[in-house]
Amino acid sequence: MNRKLLSIVFLCGISSSALAFDLGNIDLGKALGTLQKAQQASADIDEPKEIELGAGIASNLLGAAPLLKNQRVQKYVNNVGMWLALQTERPNLPWQFGVLDDNDVNAFAAPGGYIFVTKGLLAQMKSEAELAGVLAHEMSHILRKHYLEAIKKGARTGLIAEFAGQALESRGADPAFKKLVSAGTEVYARGLDKDDEFEADRMGVVIATRAGYDPYGLPAVLQTLQGMNAQDSSLALLFKTHPALGERLNLLDRLMTGQFDEFEKQPAHAPRFMGVMGKTGILKR
Amino acid sequence: MKWLPAFCLSCCIFAAHAGETAYTVRTTEVKAKPFSDADTLSSLPEKSKVEVLERKSGWMQIKADGAKGWVKMLSLRFGDAAQKKSGDSGLGALFNVAATGGSGSTVSTGVRGLSEENLKNPHPNPQAMKELQRYATGKKEAQSFGKSGKLATRQIDYLPPAK
Repeated sequence: MNRKLLSIVFLCGISSSALAFDLGNIDLGKALGTLQKAQQASADIDEPKEIELGAGIASNLLGAAPLLKNQRVQKYVNNVGMWLALQTERPNLPWQFGVLDDNDVNAFAAPGGYIFVTKGLLAQMKSEAELAGVLAHEMSHILRKHYLEAIKKGARTGLIAEFAGQALESRGADPAFKKLVSAGTEVYARGLDKDDEFEADRMGVVIATRAGYDPYGLPAVLQTLQGMNAQDSSLALLFKTHPALGERLNLLDRLMTGQFDEFEKQPAHAPRFMGVMGKTGILKR
Repeated sequence: MKWLPAFCLSCCIFAAHAGETAYTVRTTEVKAKPFSDADTLSSLPEKSKVEVLERKSGWMQIKADGAKGWVKMLSLRFGDAAQKKSGDSGLGALFNVAATGGSGSTVSTGVRGLSEENLKNPHPNPQAMKELQRYATGKKEAQSFGKSGKLATRQIDYLPPAK
């Protein structure tokens, strides 16, 4: 009860100070302009803006966890990722893939084509098809603009229109851009909608299959994680921000039965994966 | 008892799949070979305990009651059926929510990088963004990578949600 009360007080504090801030800086002309833009608009963020926003969010993520210093591993992940991207409806995005030097088990996507997987997650994989499955899941969030939608949902009215209306070159100086980048980074701590995750699972399996891989790479990774100790701190953020692994596996079980039999002979490329990861110390086995 | 989970975890990591214990989450046919039309050897009821030997695409070779065979990998979950209900979200997630509370405040988890705290108070890293760009693969390069792996592209539509 005390905790609830405290959080109410806390929230009130935040909202009232934010209100005071907004009122203190109000500029009637600008406010009306924003309102007009919001009305005109579709308030839609076009592709260059989507990429700009994603780059800001990706940069923040790299501020929390640096890139793994291993060119061979980074290049390999980009090769697998770009090969997958060519099998999607957005092959022309500036796709960039990075391995984060962090023992947490997780993967991230940012709008516009930025995808990251942690060293800790790579350590749980056994083949290129498993890596492909995870990358394809993350790509699906970008293809379907899940993060963009999550940011829009959380943003104050007008902020999106303000950003969408700014000239591209004004980047960095634009306060709307900064706010949306922060909001976008925070989505990683909060997570997407459950249905977005389920959709990315369904699409990820299909994209990996289109690219010629064993379709069961993504399910295999999810199954491995499900077998790990649920209280392991390296899984805490993943578990907090994703639907239960058991539920995801149950849905994939129902989805894949029968439909993927004809693709079961497609390669998993375990030796190629192990060859690249072999002497890096990433695989702790 | 705090050391117990850590101990169990280290076992899981070193054991990989071979010899790992799993259980069935539904009635499961045991096949002689990893194909749907292979001979059916037996049928395992839900919550049968099995030992996993290896995985081949959608199939896992298992040993149950001393007999080997192949089952659909998605009919299995690792661990012990007695301790894990199917669809279990994991106690860790529950503890995590309880610890962070609903106030939106963050719990400091120390210096670890991808903490909630760091994601809510981010700092950009433009240097790393430049490095990231250097690793990017072009379309042609990706094509030859796919070719080198004899990866043949297939036509398959996205799938609707399972009913």
